[in-house]
Amino acid sequence: MPKVKDVEPIELHGDIWKHITPGEVILEARGITKRYPGGVLANDHIDFKIRAGEVHAILGENGAGKTTLMSILFGLIQPDAGEIYVRGLQVRFRSPEDAIRMGIGMVHQHRKLVPAHTVLENILLGHPKSKGVINIKDAEEEVVAIAERYGFRVDPRARVWQLTEGEKQVVEIVKALYRGAKILILDEPTSALTPVETERLLESIETMTQDALGVVPFITHKLPMVLAISDEVTILRRGRVVDRLKTAEATEQILAQKMVGRPVIFDLKKPDVTPGKPVIQVEDLSARNNKGLIALKNVSFTVREGEILGIAGVAGNGQHELAETLMGLRPAESGRILFNGQDVTHLPILDRWKLGMGYTPAERTDVGSIGDFTLVENVAMNYYFDNRYNHAGFLDYRGLRQLTERIIEEFDVATPSPDVKIQTLSGGNLQKIILGRVLSREPKLIIANLPAQGLDVGATEFVQRKLLEARSNQAAVILISEDLDEILSLSDWIAPMYEGEIVDILPAAEAKKDIIGAMIAGLHQEH
Amino acid sequence: MTVAGYQIRLLRRTSLPGWKAALFSILAIVFGLLLFSLIFIQAGQSPREVYKQIFGYAFFNAYGLRLSINRFIFLAFASYAFIIPYRAGLWNIGMPGQLYLGALAAFGVVYLLGGKTGDLSMPQPLVLTLMVLAALVAGAFMGGIAGFLKGKWNVNEIVVTMMLNFIAFNLVSFMIKDGGPFMNVGGRGESFELPEAARAPLLADFPYTLVLVFLLMIGIYLLFARMSLGYQVRAFGKSPAAARYAGIRPFRISVLVFLMGGALAGLAGYHYFAAVPGVYKIARTYAYFGDLSFYGMISGLISLGNPIATLLVALLFGGLSIGGRSAQGKLHLGFGIDYALMGMLMISLVAFQFFYHYQILITKKTVPQSHPTMTEDLS
Repeated sequence: MPKVKDVEPIELHGDIWKHITPGEVILEARGITKRYPGGVLANDHIDFKIRAGEVHAILGENGAGKTTLMSILFGLIQPDAGEIYVRGLQVRFRSPEDAIRMGIGMVHQHRKLVPAHTVLENILLGHPKSKGVINIKDAEEEVVAIAERYGFRVDPRARVWQLTEGEKQVVEIVKALYRGAKILILDEPTSALTPVETERLLESIETMTQDALGVVPFITHKLPMVLAISDEVTILRRGRVVDRLKTAEATEQILAQKMVGRPVIFDLKKPDVTPGKPVIQVEDLSARNNKGLIALKNVSFTVREGEILGIAGVAGNGQHELAETLMGLRPAESGRILFNGQDVTHLPILDRWKLGMGYTPAERTDVGSIGDFTLVENVAMNYYFDNRYNHAGFLDYRGLRQLTERIIEEFDVATPSPDVKIQTLSGGNLQKIILGRVLSREPKLIIANLPAQGLDVGATEFVQRKLLEARSNQAAVILISEDLDEILSLSDWIAPMYEGEIVDILPAAEAKKDIIGAMIAGLHQEH
Repeated sequence: MTVAGYQIRLLRRTSLPGWKAALFSILAIVFGLLLFSLIFIQAGQSPREVYKQIFGYAFFNAYGLRLSINRFIFLAFASYAFIIPYRAGLWNIGMPGQLYLGALAAFGVVYLLGGKTGDLSMPQPLVLTLMVLAALVAGAFMGGIAGFLKGKWNVNEIVVTMMLNFIAFNLVSFMIKDGGPFMNVGGRGESFELPEAARAPLLADFPYTLVLVFLLMIGIYLLFARMSLGYQVRAFGKSPAAARYAGIRPFRISVLVFLMGGALAGLAGYHYFAAVPGVYKIARTYAYFGDLSFYGMISGLISLGNPIATLLVALLFGGLSIGGRSAQGKLHLGFGIDYALMGMLMISLVAFQFFYHYQILITKKTVPQSHPTMTEDLS
């Protein structure tokens, strides 16, 4: 047995990071194992080595154990077995505080910032220097220096709520670097970024590797990102390391196959569909956001039977308000919505469902489903009013159960039974149930708000295929997505949105990714 | 936490089977009774004797049992009045006000029919029907105010129902005290006595409202387990945003559950003042029953809004309130010991709800505990 002696990590820190040579192993995990109560083996003897000056991507589908591994590396949870070594020293993190002191920085996908505070205040929050009296001026200079070093543009005095998702991510990165992170864990780093922002982030990461930092992005989808950014990839599936390879040897196909465990088709076949009559006509529609500001400005478009209109844009440019206003969840400030020729602008939500409108919200756990309800009860959300399942005020739960079983089968939902609570389902399976429930009504219009966001490769492919199927069945589809590749591969028409306005509506055949990318970033000049 | 080489951890439960919830409730009651034993010992009494007196009188004495059942019926209605809004995620703290108004309305019917001074000419079934309907409508009106304000402007329903309690309390006072229209001919600060035709008939020694308790139990059970409306209420209670997305109207749900809850509280008021043998008037101590109705809320909470389980808790509290008072008189215990005992059980039951949400896991420790440690490099 090696002698164990307690050392305050704050003393360790400082010494431990002296004289790093590029290529040296700076973080090593050996046999990390974590079993949750209930028996789920989330991490099963995971080993990997992170080297200084390298980008080491950890790739895996939802449920592959990435989140657990990340939480262990950052001290949020304790592993049942296994060791972590930082520069050869065995360490044990009681809390994120320990991990931070040992040079580990974490950039969360769900930002952990105080919206009402300034960028600088957020960066200083929790820093040892900020105990007692803070020299704001010095701190600001230091922060600006770090930002400049890595090419980040951010105003330290801006309030966080004013920032875009990309800028918030920058704040989190700078915060980690300011606390002296030498190993930077990035959770889904590009999921909320515009193409331009992604470019910039890649450049910054390049600089970090030159400074011998270890960068560890955790990635679910966005395989091109993995190829562009990383030197080495560790692929997880079902809690185990299935492969570890140099990125130079990998292709998108190989990565996807190893991740999912079966070959994945990338090019979706988009069958030819002859568009029918207009299903939804939107005229000069405007609406306010939750802060009471106009967030949707005079939007007009038409979608016909058998067409997919792709609404492209970065989060917060009015797409969300558009979807909610169409479905009646948000009042229209002005303008009209015609559904099959009928004015539905001020119709209650329930009437829109009954008329054949369908909506799959982006907030799947908070709006699209009720976590504490069973799958059957969740399916009932779209049927409690339907005469087929509502007999004189009584619900036909047996019939609803059969319907749920059909959806489970058709949508390939992994669940032990339709009677479990829906909160036990993974993100992909939850989305399949929601989509299956909405599509089972055979709606004439489907508003799909970020249908594949956060889903793994397999589930993404499935969801996209189902939307195309609905299109083939002469449904009109409004697809809201932040993923330009998804928009380009599914849509018939593309409407980029910027600051609440539709910049242009382009036929997909003529649309180019870089032009749309510029439009959603507000760089496109009106001609 | 670590104790003597064992690690004690708290884990959040994902689900709780019904039998376990029942087990924890029973444990909570036993724990509460044991703890309260200390008070009896301090008062120089043997806890065994006191509990024998309390439970013996409440449930095994023919006269005491009748009293217990009357309280039970009252608490059952009060707990239904709490449960229905509770399933929609809304808190009805207005049972006292709603039941005062229910009682006033029932007595108002008799007053208008001339029953204050003499017997009624109308047939009894018709009088009773009118009284019950009036109680339901008045309670519903009182509850509906909170539901309307909540649904329309999102005004906090707890504050509204609570404030309405004060208004109703003083309204009763105005009606029955000296000079009030419902004043007893002999004064005494209580209402006139109901004439024969307005008194609820007894079925085997118990008022017929006992039957209503069980009919309502079945009705509320079906409402939530089978009916579309109950589904909508539950969906709204679990997630207002998701319910709205599904087309459920928040305003409608808020108003409906408070109308129903208020109506049932009104029924509780009708029951105690117009159906319990030997009462048949709005007593001077009516506020006691307003307070007692909160035990209906407690039993609704403990049973997690289940209309069947709540009856067991209502029976327990109904019996304790009778048995406790009897033991207090018989054994010369301190004033208020009955309420203190019920309070202790209530606290114990609420505290044991902790186990509804968490389980305690004790494992033998395998790894040396986690100070950030440095070992010699193993390799």
